[in-house]
Amino acid sequence: MKTRNNRMIKIILMFFALLIVVPVVWMIIWAFTERWAWPDILPQVFSFRAVEGILRKSTRLGQMMLSSVFISLAVAALAVVIGTMTARALVLYQFKGRDVLYFCSILPFMVPVTVFAMGIQVTFIKLGWNNTVWGVICAHLVCSLPYAVRLLMDGTEALGDGLEEQARVLGASEGQAFFRVTLPLLVPVLLSAFSMAYIVSFSQYFLTLLIGGGQVKTFTIVMVPYLQGGDRNIACVYSVIFLGITLVLFGIFEWTAGKVSKNNSTEFYS
Amino acid sequence: MKRRIISVVLAALMTLSLAACGSKSEDASGNDDSNSEKSIEEMSFDELKEAAKGSTVTFYGWGGDEKLNEWLDDVFAPQMKEKYDITMERVPMDIDQILSQLSGEIQAGEEDGSIDMIWINGENFQSAKENNMLYGPFTDRLPNFNDYIDTESEDVTLDFAYPIEGYEAPYGKAQMVLVGDTAVTSEFPKSAEELLEFVKKYPGKVTYPALPDFTGSVFVRSIIYEICGYEQFLNMEADKETVKEAVEPAMEYLRQLNPYLWNEGKTFPDSSTTLDNMFADGEVILNVTYDAFATAVKIEEGTYTETTQTFQFDKGTIGNTNFMAIAANSQNKAGAMVAINEMMSPEIQADRYNTLKVLPVVDYDKLSDEQKEEFDKVDLGKGTIPQDELLAKRLPEMPAELVPIIEEIWEEEVVGK
Repeated sequence: MKTRNNRMIKIILMFFALLIVVPVVWMIIWAFTERWAWPDILPQVFSFRAVEGILRKSTRLGQMMLSSVFISLAVAALAVVIGTMTARALVLYQFKGRDVLYFCSILPFMVPVTVFAMGIQVTFIKLGWNNTVWGVICAHLVCSLPYAVRLLMDGTEALGDGLEEQARVLGASEGQAFFRVTLPLLVPVLLSAFSMAYIVSFSQYFLTLLIGGGQVKTFTIVMVPYLQGGDRNIACVYSVIFLGITLVLFGIFEWTAGKVSKNNSTEFYS
Repeated sequence: MKRRIISVVLAALMTLSLAACGSKSEDASGNDDSNSEKSIEEMSFDELKEAAKGSTVTFYGWGGDEKLNEWLDDVFAPQMKEKYDITMERVPMDIDQILSQLSGEIQAGEEDGSIDMIWINGENFQSAKENNMLYGPFTDRLPNFNDYIDTESEDVTLDFAYPIEGYEAPYGKAQMVLVGDTAVTSEFPKSAEELLEFVKKYPGKVTYPALPDFTGSVFVRSIIYEICGYEQFLNMEADKETVKEAVEPAMEYLRQLNPYLWNEGKTFPDSSTTLDNMFADGEVILNVTYDAFATAVKIEEGTYTETTQTFQFDKGTIGNTNFMAIAANSQNKAGAMVAINEMMSPEIQADRYNTLKVLPVVDYDKLSDEQKEEFDKVDLGKGTIPQDELLAKRLPEMPAELVPIIEEIWEEEVVGK
């Protein structure tokens, strides 16, 4: 029974792996393909046009990539800090208006980004925040926060405040109890929240376009016109780069988190 | 649909800005600006060049054409830097978003707007101009406009039959052409009747982009011209009933096409770029494009086969011009004017003709012999219609207001019928 179950699981896993791998391979092939007409099984014309075009502006692209990653990292860091505080307040404390506040914290899920972007644009222009990196970070933060808050609330709930109280009983100060007991235990959840916030920010197009006025150039701002423009090989090269950056960064996040929580193995939801 | 969203957004923005009318603090700076504005109005072109030295000009426009992007970044921008010490910043954005950002900035009272130059035409130009979102008139102050452009021609005075009045300067010309592969089919439909025969012979292999895509829209207008003639539309009133009555025979014809189209005309490709890809993939055997000479580029790159050939209807196809305008609240109007002037220079236009295969906007007869030679020596490449033949069969655009009405009628009367 158990082995059959295992095989089922393997088949399902293989299926899902294929769902991810096939499009990626497809994308890599298209990055070098100029024409691939029906009914041939292999592309008729290969070319390096798209790759060469991108290599030619690699310095500009590199700078843009750095600023893009910086913006998203800043958003993720802020989202995790604010998210942790929000989650603790909502989970561990009872106060008037708590439910309303909780509802507000997930409100951005319900308002479409487009609508939000159009509305906030005028406000940001008045504040002088439009076309600035700071403005874009703020706007992204609004979209990223609900994910971070939700994830961190679950983590905080699972962890409870028992261990923290224990530490307090043993004589730790409030700060010590939080930073040396709770925070290390929360690392896996912090990582999820951080990654989620990061990817939400990194893939944001319309919001960045409106708030950044096209002048805050993130990776998506440059990439999306090619996706819409139907230039498949260039779009594929950009997508592969997008994927690459994300994978590398997530690897780094994972590795860092592993370092930090090496000595703690937390069992969530046990 | 997009246009409808924009109008809703514009309305929403206006309401929002009403709420913000309480803050009148911008008044002082507003006066300041109108003073410096005046001096820009009075400046000669040389003074404009001087004023623009060392500044940055932003150029907002559609960014999906890699060749054009590279040309702007690697040819035009360095030349502007070298000649005038102006830094060009290309901002890739769809025209809907550009106008929504511009209207947002103007509603918020931003005097030093982020948008300087805009790539625009047609109904977008009309709505932007009517909402006072553009700066002008400015074209008569540009030496290259006066020297090399036929300022009297309708390609330059009218944009979709809407008077330009100096609020935008020509950038490039487009003309609708059809594209086929001679290896797949030898006979190309040269009229609406022949097209009907053609789709019957190749069922499921022909389609056109869904309106309001620019290219889909011009294809339908070309069919209307084929079937109903074009003269009656040039001064037609923008009233839905009138238009509907006039275009009904064409809509009837399009409904006749439907059963033989790709996916039986139940759905249409969402954009011209999708159709381009479908054509390259051999999924359809007929392509429609605004970019009359782009086929040569695509053959060179290997996207299309060597045997691909463009053609047009015997009665002609619709051509129009696309333009450059300046935002009303641009913070660098002087720089934008210098850049626009440069874009219309014979050298730049010849270079665009050569590398990008864009129909030039300069008047050939106004050029010197050397300049003429620059244009003459351009090899258009494979698969294209010679320029004089193409322009000989160039039909004018309808009034801009009719375009959205026709798009609406098409959606109601043709799709899935």
